[in-house]
Amino acid sequence: MAVHKPLLRGAVWLGHLLILAGASAGATLALRVLIGGEGTLYLALPRLFPFAEMSLSLDGLSAFFLLVVALVTAAAALYGPSYLGAHAKAPLVQTFALAVFVACMAGVCCAGDGLTFLLAWEGMTLASYVLVVSDTRSDDNTRAGLLYLVMAHAGTAALLVVFLTLAERGHGFDFVAFRTAARSLHGSTRTALFILALVGFGAKAGVVPLHVWLPKAHPAAPSHASALMSGVMLKVALYGIFRLGFDILAPAAGPLPASWGWTVLIVGTVSAVIGVLLALQQHDLKRLLAFHSVENVGIILIGAGLAMLLSRGRGAEPLATLALAAALLHTLNHAAFKGLLFLGAGSVISRTGVRNMEELGGLARRMPWTTWLFLLGAVAISALPPLNGFVSEWMTFQALLLGGAKLGGASGMLAGVAASMLALTGGLAAACFAKAFGVTFLGRPRSVHAEQASESPAPMIAGMLLLVGACVALGLVPGYAMPLLDGPTQELLGGLGPSAVVTARGPLVLSGNGAASGLEATSISVTAVAALLALLAAVAWALRGWPRRAPRRLAPTWTCGMLPSSRFDYTATAFAKPLRLIFAAVYRPRRAITKETGPSPYVIRRLGYTGEVVDLAETMLYTRLKRWITATAQGIRAYSTGRIQGYIAFVLVTLVVALWFFARA
Amino acid sequence: MEDIATIGKVVAQAGLLVLLGPLLTGFIQKLKARLQCRQGASLWQPYRDLAKLLRKGTVQSDSASPFFRAVPVLVLAATVTTTVMLPVLWAPSRATLLPLGDAILLLALLALARFLCAIGALDAGGAFGGMGASREMTVGLLVEPAMMMAVFSVAVAGGTTDLVHLAARRGTLPALSWQAPDLLALFAMLVLALAETGRIPVDNPDTHLELTMLHEGMLLEHSGPGLACIVLATHTKQIVILTLLAALFFPLGLAEGSAPIEIALAGAAFLAKLFALAIFLGLVESSYAKLRFFRLPQFLGLGLVCAFLALALRIL
Repeated sequence: MAVHKPLLRGAVWLGHLLILAGASAGATLALRVLIGGEGTLYLALPRLFPFAEMSLSLDGLSAFFLLVVALVTAAAALYGPSYLGAHAKAPLVQTFALAVFVACMAGVCCAGDGLTFLLAWEGMTLASYVLVVSDTRSDDNTRAGLLYLVMAHAGTAALLVVFLTLAERGHGFDFVAFRTAARSLHGSTRTALFILALVGFGAKAGVVPLHVWLPKAHPAAPSHASALMSGVMLKVALYGIFRLGFDILAPAAGPLPASWGWTVLIVGTVSAVIGVLLALQQHDLKRLLAFHSVENVGIILIGAGLAMLLSRGRGAEPLATLALAAALLHTLNHAAFKGLLFLGAGSVISRTGVRNMEELGGLARRMPWTTWLFLLGAVAISALPPLNGFVSEWMTFQALLLGGAKLGGASGMLAGVAASMLALTGGLAAACFAKAFGVTFLGRPRSVHAEQASESPAPMIAGMLLLVGACVALGLVPGYAMPLLDGPTQELLGGLGPSAVVTARGPLVLSGNGAASGLEATSISVTAVAALLALLAAVAWALRGWPRRAPRRLAPTWTCGMLPSSRFDYTATAFAKPLRLIFAAVYRPRRAITKETGPSPYVIRRLGYTGEVVDLAETMLYTRLKRWITATAQGIRAYSTGRIQGYIAFVLVTLVVALWFFARA
Repeated sequence: MEDIATIGKVVAQAGLLVLLGPLLTGFIQKLKARLQCRQGASLWQPYRDLAKLLRKGTVQSDSASPFFRAVPVLVLAATVTTTVMLPVLWAPSRATLLPLGDAILLLALLALARFLCAIGALDAGGAFGGMGASREMTVGLLVEPAMMMAVFSVAVAGGTTDLVHLAARRGTLPALSWQAPDLLALFAMLVLALAETGRIPVDNPDTHLELTMLHEGMLLEHSGPGLACIVLATHTKQIVILTLLAALFFPLGLAEGSAPIEIALAGAAFLAKLFALAIFLGLVESSYAKLRFFRLPQFLGLGLVCAFLALALRIL
């Protein structure tokens, strides 16, 4: 084994470098389509099945999502070898699965027909399943993997119905045939298919209440694979929603059905709030991040749903463009900062072996790079200026407000509610990351593992730096990213692109368009504000140093006269306690305190505390569903006698019923 | 040329807010003292405190990370940055060359300051800091969305979230004339301003009992010039919140050009508005008791509901 070790490491490195090369190629290709003005690229694949042609096609929307895939993949490929080298049990298998996973995600985005799409979709699911169950062999992981597989395939089943219906009516699997087929669909069939697609893709994207697998499965994979699953795989599912909702299933002319917009907006709002509320109560660093993915998918869907409500022929084209641009930009932004945060968490885990943030702390001095990169990610995800999360949320707010005023009535109210909930989400996310960052990295180390931690190797830092660069660039000069969104928004909505709407006043100024009569659009310059912030910070720094005469000295933190120890640090549980009580209706918190007393009840030997909160979707929906399925299965068992005649009779009856049913049609 | 003049005006307004901030605190303290039949400290006491803190040395917790030193500076910078987004004396109706920001950015920058402050509090590794951070973030996340909704209720009618534009057009745009939703939004903002400025019944700025403190609890480990930065940021935040309230609901007397008489009038109007709001804060603080922390959601919920109703009425 020892002999093979360098060889093994070389193979892992080679695999990741190949992935990196693929990512660069994908990014180049995507950029050529998005800003090179190459039009749609098309590639016919060799004919594998007698009944369908397979092809790849890369239009604006595909190219944009390919870019998202490529960005995080590049960072993960840089990061991966050192991470796997540190503690992986099966690095070769994982490298291979990662390559397949990434290739399949790119395949889904570039698929030109339904069959290629579904094959790549399945490949993506299976490869990520391998990543989920291969990292550590524990019962929890196996169960998480199984749940993931079940949910993913239930989703795929819904998609299969949509695709087969379209294929049957369009006499072909390619998207062009699908579009033709969809054009002749009846209104209610169209909506039914859209809802099915929303369920199918939503199960993968982790929208509430289909999110239960996500916080279990994502953290189980190796961290750079988690980054890809949370940062990119969810986006691939959103790509499906965009592709079907705005493109394939959309009516040939006229606005998209209002019910679609309502559904997506409501689902998005609920996901955003529930996701972040549950994230707040997690102490497992990676699990907390996974719940935040639910939140951010919700925010993206808010933008998408609003774009649906405002789309085509309702006289609010610039607002629809603004909403969709906000959703797409948030897609890119979330990929960057969520990838970064997962890589940062992975860096902590690989150096300490601990995922529970209560056992961490004090890492700021031991792992400075990881700490400050994670902090930037935390600021970005909390939608605080001057980083990228704020930019896309600002655009979403503008679209919601102006769109709400434009829509008026019930739809306007819904937009208003979504805006309020989005504001709440921002506050909750900031609280959550103050907790996550503060408890994990600051204060004193609360365990030996945290005390003995040291900085991660350079390739891992490089992977994170790549994503931090994206976060900072997209935050400080977002105007230059707008041309990337032109292709996808124009394909989906027509009309002017975001670079003409949002950056109408030059790349340094962002405008929310569509203001009421007599008023100019709201404009902000994030760049100028960031410069001002930096200038003021420099002035304040200088001012602070200038009149000082007395020296700076270090002293222990005041702990009321007792010897300071890490026991005085505020824990994550304590930090989130006020919210646990305020939102008790959602959390249903339970706690148990066990007290072990000595001979007298006043002498306490031992105090134990356990507390937990529940995920309402899990207890209200899935537990009941599980109980119902078990009961039904028990009921059916009575008829399963084991005699062959009985089974033949069942088959016969089914056959007759089916024939009768379909012969009528 | 005109743009340079505009930038000059913005800088002057920002400077005015930062300079007046401590005076406002001094005035409220004096008012409270008078209401308690005390003589009270001088109006200029907050300036003296700042000068003294700036001259002092620093004692820093030995378990804090290097970032701890940057926290006060960044908090101050983020808070002061918000001052350029408000109409204080001028509200030009024409768009400027480089628009700096709007109400959303203003509130987001205040949230950034709060976030950094909370992180700094956790850094020192004491239970008081952690408790303060936890509570401040909790109150913050209840106040922030409500404040946004109150701002949105005005912004929806005006079609913009730019505070300068809103203030400038309030008199001329019929959609922005004073209506019932404004009353609700104003009430909400008054409730929220109490929380945002850290006053009774939400927080107690005078206490030195660690367990009752929210904002002060986070500052325990800061000292010397660092503490001065944070205290100045607190003064600035208070005046920013009050100016925001005035700009949203009473944008009277704002100057359009730069004639001296206009500016003098605008200055007088601004001081009058600040005076009225400061008296409100002082009176409430003197006549109410501090609420228990877990009663706060109900109190702030009042603001939340009113702000939401205001927004709903505007949209419908």
